[in-house]
Amino acid sequence: MAKVAREMVERAGINVDTLLELLVKNASAELTTFYYYTILRVNLIGLEGEGIKEIAETARIEDRNHFEALVPRIYELGGKLPGDMKEFHDVSACPPASLPKDPTNIKAMLTVLVEAERCAVRGYTQICNMTAGKDHRTYDLALAILNEEIEHESWFSEFLGEGPSGHYLRRGETSPFVRKFLE
Amino acid sequence: MSVLWFTPAELACYNGRDGVPAYIAYAGQVYDVTHSFLWQGGRHQALHTAGIDLTGSLSEAPHGADLLARFPVIGRLRERDG
Repeated sequence: MAKVAREMVERAGINVDTLLELLVKNASAELTTFYYYTILRVNLIGLEGEGIKEIAETARIEDRNHFEALVPRIYELGGKLPGDMKEFHDVSACPPASLPKDPTNIKAMLTVLVEAERCAVRGYTQICNMTAGKDHRTYDLALAILNEEIEHESWFSEFLGEGPSGHYLRRGETSPFVRKFLE
Repeated sequence: MSVLWFTPAELACYNGRDGVPAYIAYAGQVYDVTHSFLWQGGRHQALHTAGIDLTGSLSEAPHGADLLARFPVIGRLRERDG
């Protein structure tokens, strides 16, 4: 634990235990999403599936990166991951992104994907709201993740025909915002 | 069809703990969130508990009241006990 780092957050008026619970819940959401997206991605078959396989894979890897980036901050603040992985799964801040009954229904697949991202956008918006101006490091991390989750949502939303995302898909390396926390 | 009315004290009994259903109130309506993954054990995102009126909390939430449409309305909340 980074004792003074935690103390600074407490002195800023943040309930660190509540913040830690939220960070652990969102770390769980990231790792479980990485797992469920693996299943979704392998089921994106045929011509229609091929069209979204790449963005599903990019979102999957970036969500794993989000988990990796969150873990150090949890421990810096004096928290920890649950020792039981089943327990960790069940505290997720977002529902499981389970495979739809008909995986060949691309709209159903995209709906699962976009809803998972929307849950993540809400989760990190909440953490940003809590930490803005008070816990600079967590805010920086949550904002970086939020930026990538917003892009994920926009990709899937665009594929659902809900409107333009406003930008191109990822080119080059993954996690352009979160990368600095992984080095 | 008769409406099920809850006083705040009655609503507080449905806190989602120890097998009790989890109900929340918003804008006078009582919702059953028992089977929601995000309300397990009557807690929501480390910040809210079931069995209370969350009308005043929604403005600070990262979502709107539209998400409540996913849950069944099972009654209405009286403004006060007694």
